Amino acid sequence: MSLPVPPAFPKRNLDVVTTTLVGGLRAPAHLVGLPRPDPHMDLEDYDPDADLMALNWGPQHPSTHGVLRVKVWLDGEVCVKAVPYLGYLHRGVEKLCEKLGYAQITPIVDKNDYVSPMMNELAINMAFEKLLDIEPSPRASWLRTILAEIQRVASHLLWLGTWGLDIGGAVGGGATIFMYCMRERERILDLFEELTGCRFHYNTHCVGGNRHDPPVGWDQHAKEVLASIAERSREYDQFLTNNAVFRARTVGVGVVDPVLAMELGVSGPILRASGIDADLRRDAPYLAYDQVELRVPVRTGGDNFARYEVRMAELLESIRIATLLLDGLPEGPLSSQKVVKLPAGIKSTSGRSAYACIESPRGELGTYVIANSDRKLAGQPYRCKIRPPSLHAMALIPYLCPGLTMSDMVVTVGCLDPILGEVDR
Amino acid sequence: MSETSTPTPATPTPATPTPTPTPALYPPDLLALCQERFGLDELDDQGPVVPRDRVLELAHALREELGFHHFVYCAAAHFLAEGEPGTEGFQPDRSLVAYRVRRLCRPDGRRGTDSFPFRLWVPTGESTPSLTAVWAGADWQEREQYDLVGTLFDGHPDLRRLMMPDDWPGHPLRRDYAIDTTHFPWR
Repeated sequence: MSLPVPPAFPKRNLDVVTTTLVGGLRAPAHLVGLPRPDPHMDLEDYDPDADLMALNWGPQHPSTHGVLRVKVWLDGEVCVKAVPYLGYLHRGVEKLCEKLGYAQITPIVDKNDYVSPMMNELAINMAFEKLLDIEPSPRASWLRTILAEIQRVASHLLWLGTWGLDIGGAVGGGATIFMYCMRERERILDLFEELTGCRFHYNTHCVGGNRHDPPVGWDQHAKEVLASIAERSREYDQFLTNNAVFRARTVGVGVVDPVLAMELGVSGPILRASGIDADLRRDAPYLAYDQVELRVPVRTGGDNFARYEVRMAELLESIRIATLLLDGLPEGPLSSQKVVKLPAGIKSTSGRSAYACIESPRGELGTYVIANSDRKLAGQPYRCKIRPPSLHAMALIPYLCPGLTMSDMVVTVGCLDPILGEVDR
Repeated sequence: MSETSTPTPATPTPATPTPTPTPALYPPDLLALCQERFGLDELDDQGPVVPRDRVLELAHALREELGFHHFVYCAAAHFLAEGEPGTEGFQPDRSLVAYRVRRLCRPDGRRGTDSFPFRLWVPTGESTPSLTAVWAGADWQEREQYDLVGTLFDGHPDLRRLMMPDDWPGHPLRRDYAIDTTHFPWR
């Protein structure tokens, strides 16, 4: 038996492919203008003689990474139309935010993106700080940067493990890579437990600063953990990147048009794997990101393999930045000492509003807050809208799935890294 | 890397509280579009209020002429009526719809990002043009706002509920949505 020959290595960066300008932005020419399926297609317009089968994929299927339901119409094994149904995990977080004070909201939003809770806390507290005009102390903003980067490592590890399960037997019996990734992620959870006392829902960011100061020796421990993960991630690379089965399942599957992705609001690794060189950490620096030089990995394959490459490169880059920043943690108070004036009473028909966004492991995670102009309710926001990156990534499903087989759809949707907790909120 | 990026320091120096010059809120081409073609004022960090009949024109101009290809969010908020009808200061029952779009490079091709927020007021019972035809990402966001706040979007291809069940009564994020409980925080 002979294994399939791996396809040629995809072109890797914008300097070696022909690029075209999209509104002044360089994009790979071979990806712009790919055929775009109509997500609202009438099935009558498809071949009327075809014997289509409607299949409900989810909401309880393990390969949907949560409670996502996609209604799929199949012609044989090939998808014709896919319609996602959301809301199975809707918990009314935005409604709850309207009824709680600014300082009470952090533990609620922890559960949104349950794979990277630090990022949720950071995004919402940055928006509140902007609204209330508070500057976090230098030590807090430095610590937040470190925590965000360590959290990104944990999130990408969990994505790799569960995606390995999606691919199944291709990567050494399916569960092998999952076990390795969970082992590494566990060490990061231990690190956070040492810092905050919680393994998962930390509640460590607050408006104006952080709650927990790193204990003595924490930075050394963190460096050891990160160094060992960097070493082991090279093993995953050896394990997967040149694996013929892995390449056959991922190269050229689920190719994303960068212009469609931008229109849909897709950001983060998916956009960078389609050749768009954009990263909020570098382009609109927040916290301490202006203190380090960030190398943003960009690939131009646009397919599952390119997204895998981008995430693995980001993982190593996050380890590098976090290790660098751990050396320079400034001394000083963790919380801002400023007295806050609540934004009520400001003459405006709608109340003041603010938007703050960060680069989460899945893309642009933002929060739009409108302050309450009623003096009695000034301590709580009037409207708090969370902009989840996964919601926009999932909007790609109706465009990506038509033309793929059912087994490729599992791999492709897994590669979008959707977290249903933040999609449904 | 670009010429503009700073070289990596061997060990990062702690952030010193030096005042950095804040970039202008609106880049010159955006300012010209807003003021000269659309006559928008109040160009602060919250974004201008756009008349409903011109929002589609503005959206097309933003995307085709200024390169705002990236859709960020659409958020609606409901406001109850204020004052007595016919008196001064009367505000009808209405929704605020806030959009934000982004471009991922500067007009001259430099690295960087600009985002542009704009808002519009929609009286309850009336609808606002959907921007789905301009940015496909507005599709689900507008469905979510319709579902939770009850704002109507004109010309949306598929305006169904997104989060709540199809037979759910009312729109939960409206201010007149009653929740019959005495328990905090839902009362």
